[in-house]
Amino acid sequence: MKQQDEKLSLLLDDDTEADINAELGEVIADVNLQYRMRRYQIIGAAMRNELAQAINTDFHHQVMANIRAELPPVAMRDSGSETARNSAIAFMARSWFRPFAGLTVATSVALVTVALWQQQDPAPKDDLASADQQKIEQLAGQQIAGGAEPVSSRVQSPGTRWKLEHESPVLQRKLNAYLVNHTEYSNSMQGLIPQARVAGFDAEQ
Amino acid sequence: MGTNLLDAELVKRVQAGDTAAFDILVQKYQHKVINLVGRFVADHAECQDIAQDAFIKSFRAINSFRGDSQFYTWLYRIAANTAKNYLASRARKSPGYTVDVEDAEHFEGESRLKEYDNPENLLLTEEIKATIFAAIEKLPEDLKSAITLREIDGLSYEEIADVMDCPIGTVRSRIFRARDVIDKELRPLLE
Repeated sequence: MKQQDEKLSLLLDDDTEADINAELGEVIADVNLQYRMRRYQIIGAAMRNELAQAINTDFHHQVMANIRAELPPVAMRDSGSETARNSAIAFMARSWFRPFAGLTVATSVALVTVALWQQQDPAPKDDLASADQQKIEQLAGQQIAGGAEPVSSRVQSPGTRWKLEHESPVLQRKLNAYLVNHTEYSNSMQGLIPQARVAGFDAEQ
Repeated sequence: MGTNLLDAELVKRVQAGDTAAFDILVQKYQHKVINLVGRFVADHAECQDIAQDAFIKSFRAINSFRGDSQFYTWLYRIAANTAKNYLASRARKSPGYTVDVEDAEHFEGESRLKEYDNPENLLLTEEIKATIFAAIEKLPEDLKSAITLREIDGLSYEEIADVMDCPIGTVRSRIFRARDVIDKELRPLLE
């Protein structure tokens, strides 16, 4: 025991001839050696008149508690174990790899976006385009039954929109074409318009 | 003061993810750092907070420490900068410590004062100092000289051996025996 304490004294003064790593391992593993080391530090500090007016015996506990609170659980490692070393290497590798990982993710996202865009929006062939156009024209020509009355209780008159639609079939067709076209490309069930009806948007109040 | 092999080894361990090694560094330098901060900030409770902050900052930045300087030089620089930044930020703020007597109970700073500067701590510290100096006084002259040359003058073992004209092994033994005698007196106070 005395021998170990003497080794601790030498370790503190950087005068150890033994394997410093092994001795340090002993200190970290033995709480009594740590207490003794702390008392040796207090002796030195008192002799150099470095002691604070009130010693906070929990100072290092408070520092370490703050540090542990900051660290993610994976970063908390025991002293010197193989797992700790492997985790440390993994951590450093992660730090080194982080910028490249970000770049890789960004590139992947860009590639996937381009691929999806190309799949969803292939260059339309003329016949397909004209068939679509015909379908749109046909559907646009039909009257959409129901749901055309304003639902707002505050709006007493049908509003100008309906007047415009009746008076201007071109505008009505355009609007219908837009709605049909939108439905075609929306993710909802075919023929169902997913959004809520806008009521009284043009009410003159 | 030696080549600080211990510090280098501790830093290496911390950089490898061993937080327990940083605990040893905190224990080793806490008095010096608090003392250094005390040169910038008079209030003891604030000193403790700033010193804690400095240690936490140094832990966060330890991977950037490449060993070009001694660890304690690097740590002291962080502590001094932390204290200066604290003073600068305090100067920018309005005088926040003017509180009514009635509000003092709920004043944030008051709890810190309670934590560090309570009468028990002040008394304990006085007792620790008195015990250490009394124990040093009682030491045989050779042990007293050895520990004084080491702790106060900061001489290496080789230098102490030269000064005391004795083998280095004797110096090692004298310093340890001096510490051991003082520790026996000090230990009951800190348990």
